[in-house]
Amino acid sequence: MKARRICAGAIALALSIGTLSAFSSCGNTGDSSKSEAKKVPDTISQGEIKDAFDAEGAKLEVLTNRTDRVNDGTLDAFTDAFEEAYNCEVQYVGYTDYAGDVATRMGTDDYGDVLMIPDDVKIEDLSSFFEPIGTYDELKDTYRWADKKMDSSKNVYGLAYGGTATGVLYNRAVWSEAGIETTPKTADEFIADLKQIAEKTEAIPYYTNYKDANWTITQWQSLVISASGNSGYENKLLTDKPELFAEDGGYYPVYKLMYDIFSDPALIEEDHINTEWESSKVWFGEGKIATMVMGSWAIGQFQEKAENPDDIGYMPVPITAADGKQYAETSADYCLGISKHSENKDLAKKYVEWFVKDSGFASNEGMIPTAADSELPDNLSEFKDAVLFEKDVTPDELLGKFDEIDKESGVGVWSGDTDNFKIKLAEAAFAGKGEDEFNKIISDVNKKWADAEAKVLG
Amino acid sequence: MKRKKNSQGLLYWMKTYDGQKFYTSIIFLIIPVALLVMFTFIPAVNMVTYSFQDRDQFGINPEFVGFKNYVTIFTDPDYLITFKNSLYYLVGSFVQQALALLLASILCAKIRAKGLFKGVLFFPYLMNGVAVSIIFQRFFMKGQRGLSPEGTLNSVLGLFGIDPVMWFDPTRPALANCCLVFVSLWRYIGFDIIMYIGAIQSINPDLYEASDLDGANPWQRFRYIVFPSIKPIISLQLILAVKGAISVFEIPYIITAGNYGTSTFVIKTIETAFKKKSVGLASAMAVVLLIIIIIVTLIQKYFFRESDDEPRKSRRKGAN
Repeated sequence: MKARRICAGAIALALSIGTLSAFSSCGNTGDSSKSEAKKVPDTISQGEIKDAFDAEGAKLEVLTNRTDRVNDGTLDAFTDAFEEAYNCEVQYVGYTDYAGDVATRMGTDDYGDVLMIPDDVKIEDLSSFFEPIGTYDELKDTYRWADKKMDSSKNVYGLAYGGTATGVLYNRAVWSEAGIETTPKTADEFIADLKQIAEKTEAIPYYTNYKDANWTITQWQSLVISASGNSGYENKLLTDKPELFAEDGGYYPVYKLMYDIFSDPALIEEDHINTEWESSKVWFGEGKIATMVMGSWAIGQFQEKAENPDDIGYMPVPITAADGKQYAETSADYCLGISKHSENKDLAKKYVEWFVKDSGFASNEGMIPTAADSELPDNLSEFKDAVLFEKDVTPDELLGKFDEIDKESGVGVWSGDTDNFKIKLAEAAFAGKGEDEFNKIISDVNKKWADAEAKVLG
Repeated sequence: MKRKKNSQGLLYWMKTYDGQKFYTSIIFLIIPVALLVMFTFIPAVNMVTYSFQDRDQFGINPEFVGFKNYVTIFTDPDYLITFKNSLYYLVGSFVQQALALLLASILCAKIRAKGLFKGVLFFPYLMNGVAVSIIFQRFFMKGQRGLSPEGTLNSVLGLFGIDPVMWFDPTRPALANCCLVFVSLWRYIGFDIIMYIGAIQSINPDLYEASDLDGANPWQRFRYIVFPSIKPIISLQLILAVKGAISVFEIPYIITAGNYGTSTFVIKTIETAFKKKSVGLASAMAVVLLIIIIIVTLIQKYFFRESDDEPRKSRRKGAN
């Protein structure tokens, strides 16, 4: 009898421990013990840490989308210097579906100390979630893109960890094998070049990565401002209220180019539902794929997988603006913000400033560093003829309006869900439905946009 | 009787059989009930509230919009298409029932290696939906010159000199949907077969003997003995098919991600909530799904109360 009771107790205990450990093992923690210790590359210089204070072993939880760099230990290696200087512990938690998972976590009060600000948080809601880092006037001389997460009273809630230029990723070896000497300047030249590649080489001229369309197709959206040649294009859309797909704007040429490429089966892969993103990096390096539209953040990842990293080239957007120049927009990646509910706000602030300015992480990734006085990375060498610009600051009265119209209209310029106009365009193009269908889809989007604009701006 | 014991105090009552029965059941119930309330009822009630709001995933300043979300679901062509896609699965499940009944009748006849065939047919049902989807993704692959080989189906067709077919073709969403329905049929048919075998085996063998004596052929035997006896099971399966058709999710989600016009109601709900971040609208969709399921369940319950002459069988249905 007694033995049986003990037995039952033991089972109950085991069950409850099992349940507890199941709960505590939730979340994708970056376990540094698993990954081999990595070192900061010699080519990267980390800034010196001045006036550090003793945080007495405080813990910072940092939420990041860079699961790759959490798992291979790079982030931990970069952070060693900071941890030592401040006597603290920084723990990275990586999320594969960052925007989705963290948004859910932000429904509670516990969302780490430092986190990348999901772009779905509206500008006016920033103050409900994040601690201000400083005012725009204080920060604008030190950091690029300081206005990205700025509210109407000029408080800055997040600083970018790095930035990218918009352009097109291409394999130099393949392009020169096809006999193309100069990078294309217009959409027509670009398509002609792709056709030449199709004829003269074995490579697939353009790889759509359509299986992962929900994000790969949004890469095209990042070309829009460059294509418009106007750093204030987004503001212009709100003040002058042209059609979203006005022919002299940024949207029309970009999506027309996409539509034309996707419409020609000779230029893209045959089986677009079974594309493989991870393998495509390898194939790209092997010269089996010639071109992809990707942000410059992808350069590092593609070089890593290539036999000859020098083959991976990056060219400016092949669309010439009305004034005959080629433009390239540089834009911020995720911004690091400090949780309003953090217990170590001072340390978190130091960490954010150190990470974006002195950690050297962005240069290591081939991104444009956030520090205003830093140099452009080598991989942007082909941009010397293009005019680089940053998107204009949105005037106070229009702050957040673009996103509001975007959401109200359901257009979703930055999303790739199955109802999105980009997916509709791509599928119409794959099906070879031609010019009429293109015009039908864009006029539908124009109408949705105009209606929402009238409603939001009055 | 009870009152008399009560007068001797609560402590005494706790020691009686009645008292022990009472508090033991409370203690046993408290954890599951608490879990059920916390993780099912409270979220469900919240969901209904959300469905009348214009709300993003952070839930800041939700705005009451009445039935606007519901109107959107039934008027916006982007949402209506999912109901159309459900029809493919509905038709598919009728085919599935017919096929399952046929196979079950064969398996109930005297054939060799019956157990093996049952096992083989039931096996897909045991497999995880994600694994099934990945297998069929490879199965239907078109392949890419120079990069990846063609999929299983196309290489088999290739042996007969047929050119590789693009199964998931944006020009032919009907074909793509049919392929997905096929996968779903392949996966779930095993369960139906087992259900039908169970029903067929519970028929009194005397009836067969009698029909043999009267010189019935197999078709007559099926038509006049088997079919009437398993009719309740067939109607149940058809009702469940409606439920299944509207709540298809993982197979299309993994194979096509809802592209190429293969989006289903549940995929659309997830996209609305987590990609478009319209939690209000998504909640309304979930409520619509819930209502459809409730209606179908009520029909099912009503139906089986009417013909409840075989209680043993209906209990088996309940387990489903």
